[in-house]
Amino acid sequence: MQRMYSKKVYILLFLLPALILFCGVLIAPIGASAYFSLFDWNGFGAKVFVGFNNYKELFTSNAIGFMKALRNSLLLAALSVFLQLPLALGLALTLGKKIRGERLFLSIYFMPVLISTVVIGQLWLKIYNPDYGVLNVFLRSIGLEKWAKIWLGTKETALGAVFVPTLWQYVGYHMLLLYAGVKSVPPELREAAMLDGATDGQVNRYIVLPYIKPIIRISVIFAVTGSLKSFDLIYVLTNGGPLHSTEVPSTLMINMLFLRNRYGMGSTIAVMLIVLCFGFALLISAIFREEK
Amino acid sequence: MKKIFALILALCMVFALAACGAQGGSAKPEEKTNEEIVLKLWCIATESDANRPAYLQAIADYEAAHPGIKIEMEAFENESYKTKIKAAMMGGDTEDLPDIFFSWSGAFLGEFVNAGRAQCLDENFKAYADKIPESMLSTTTYEGKHYGVPTTFNIVAMYANMDMLAEVGWDHVPQTYEDLCACCDALVAAGKIPFGCAGMETWCVTEYLEPIIIKSIGYEALDKIFAGEATWNDPDIAKSVDTLQDMIKKGYFDPNGAALGNDETKANFLAGKTAFYQNGSWNTGEVAGASFKSGVGLFPLMNASRSSYNQTIGGPSDVLAVCSASKNVDAASKAAVELGKEICHYNFLNAVGMPAWAVDYDTSSLSPLMVEIGKLVNSCEGLVLFGDTAMAADPAQVYLSYVDQVYGCAIDGEGFVAGLTKDLG
Repeated sequence: MQRMYSKKVYILLFLLPALILFCGVLIAPIGASAYFSLFDWNGFGAKVFVGFNNYKELFTSNAIGFMKALRNSLLLAALSVFLQLPLALGLALTLGKKIRGERLFLSIYFMPVLISTVVIGQLWLKIYNPDYGVLNVFLRSIGLEKWAKIWLGTKETALGAVFVPTLWQYVGYHMLLLYAGVKSVPPELREAAMLDGATDGQVNRYIVLPYIKPIIRISVIFAVTGSLKSFDLIYVLTNGGPLHSTEVPSTLMINMLFLRNRYGMGSTIAVMLIVLCFGFALLISAIFREEK
Repeated sequence: MKKIFALILALCMVFALAACGAQGGSAKPEEKTNEEIVLKLWCIATESDANRPAYLQAIADYEAAHPGIKIEMEAFENESYKTKIKAAMMGGDTEDLPDIFFSWSGAFLGEFVNAGRAQCLDENFKAYADKIPESMLSTTTYEGKHYGVPTTFNIVAMYANMDMLAEVGWDHVPQTYEDLCACCDALVAAGKIPFGCAGMETWCVTEYLEPIIIKSIGYEALDKIFAGEATWNDPDIAKSVDTLQDMIKKGYFDPNGAALGNDETKANFLAGKTAFYQNGSWNTGEVAGASFKSGVGLFPLMNASRSSYNQTIGGPSDVLAVCSASKNVDAASKAAVELGKEICHYNFLNAVGMPAWAVDYDTSSLSPLMVEIGKLVNSCEGLVLFGDTAMAADPAQVYLSYVDQVYGCAIDGEGFVAGLTKDLG
């Protein structure tokens, strides 16, 4: 008994640093954000307690435009799940078949993940430049002058133009996750299916995909929560403009916190982001559990 | 073996700790002997900023004249600086705060003053009473106390590429709206772009809209609106918006401008791609150095019954302030005033801005374009500070959001007035 007790103390002692770090770095800021979200505060002066008024205003005020920002994020999440992940899965399944140059392709597809987002932003700013950008130059050179547009400057095209590099950047990340899963499928399972006459497609459909389902679930959670939190690339490319057409909750939060000095409202958006990310993570887990 | 290894490891840790302790201990005598005061200065004078040479020169002069004081300048990009300084001020940790910081006058600095983060500089200005007119301190005076040191004085000017204008038969900068339209029509007909405006940075759009508004309703009315003392509900403001949109629809503005930042737009003007560039007079040095013959004027008068040609947007918007939490607040206050004065001096000589301080130095080397700007300033009958500087942060962002919609032609003049009247009163 004494031994057990002393073991528990050891366990507690060993867990304590991580627990303190977890609480200090994650739980405490969330708690602080939730607390500040109940105030009308500019970040410097006196705080005025307003209860849940910030939450009410967030969902009802057109001037803030949170619902539009949320809609943009959800659209990005949908594109991530239904466009980015299938592409990543396709690449992972192809590379998982031990094709020639597997490692080279793996490195190439993963490269955008390693490059700084600001660099990627600058790169795509140049690609989209209406005067000398590669995209418009290419369109003009093949006679599609009419298709050349001010990609980031018009609200009709800006959202799509921002989504393309966002999706492109993380295809490699999801591909790597799924590739690891594909590689972990026991070869004897594949061989047995092949011996029974299964085609490549059937092996993928009935052997590989069910086997890597937990990884697909993780990828979907990462894609959805990543889309909800998306910030850096959008900030560099358009900063939410033109006319708030590319606004997402994170850019709105920065705008509230540092440009409008509405620290309370900025904290409210932060809390909503946390709630949404947790909510979607739980929902996705539940959907996958049901399917199981 | 394990015990020996553990002993060695323990000894290593003891020595490591002792080494850390020794470093801290040796620092004390150094602090005593070294009396150098290091003042941290945050500003937006980055490598590409026209103000940078003036900052560097003023700092070098100050350090040479004050041995024992070292100024460590850290420069940040304009937009990110707004976030950086506010985040630092909110945090309040003195280690992270600068001693002297760049600020925009009006409401931007006012927020720091109200929060008790900016140091009152009244005592320090006493020695400079004859060097700076009180009017130049008006935008940094809160409840009768001075908190900011102007580093320059600027107005919104309409720069022109006279070579491009000459190609379509114009030898002067148009003075009336009819002339401006005729000139722009001629440029458009010749396949040239009259104006460039950076749609990615809304403050650049205000540099076009606000001069039209002031020329329509007059400086007193606009000043009251920015101060929140009068309503936006003025039919002449709606007309001003319609005028700007009319110019956009007539093709007077570079359509690609919507996706460009200010640096690219300015580069297009300097490269001869656009005929006009309306922006702050801090660009004078760069425009004067362009390969074409340059001219300058103000946006034409729109409504003679309420305004005049010599009214414009501008003022001492760029200032240095002192953080009240600075450990060396006295030294920082003295340095801020002297640095502000000298930055202003060098900025004027470098054609980066008009002098907010008295000119007691040789100005014979000034460029002709700067002399022209000087004439415009001297004949000025009324000035209103830039809208996003004059207004507090929240209403300023609401206002900029509407300006954004104006440039994108998402709302017309009536929509602009109705929206701002509803949201800001």
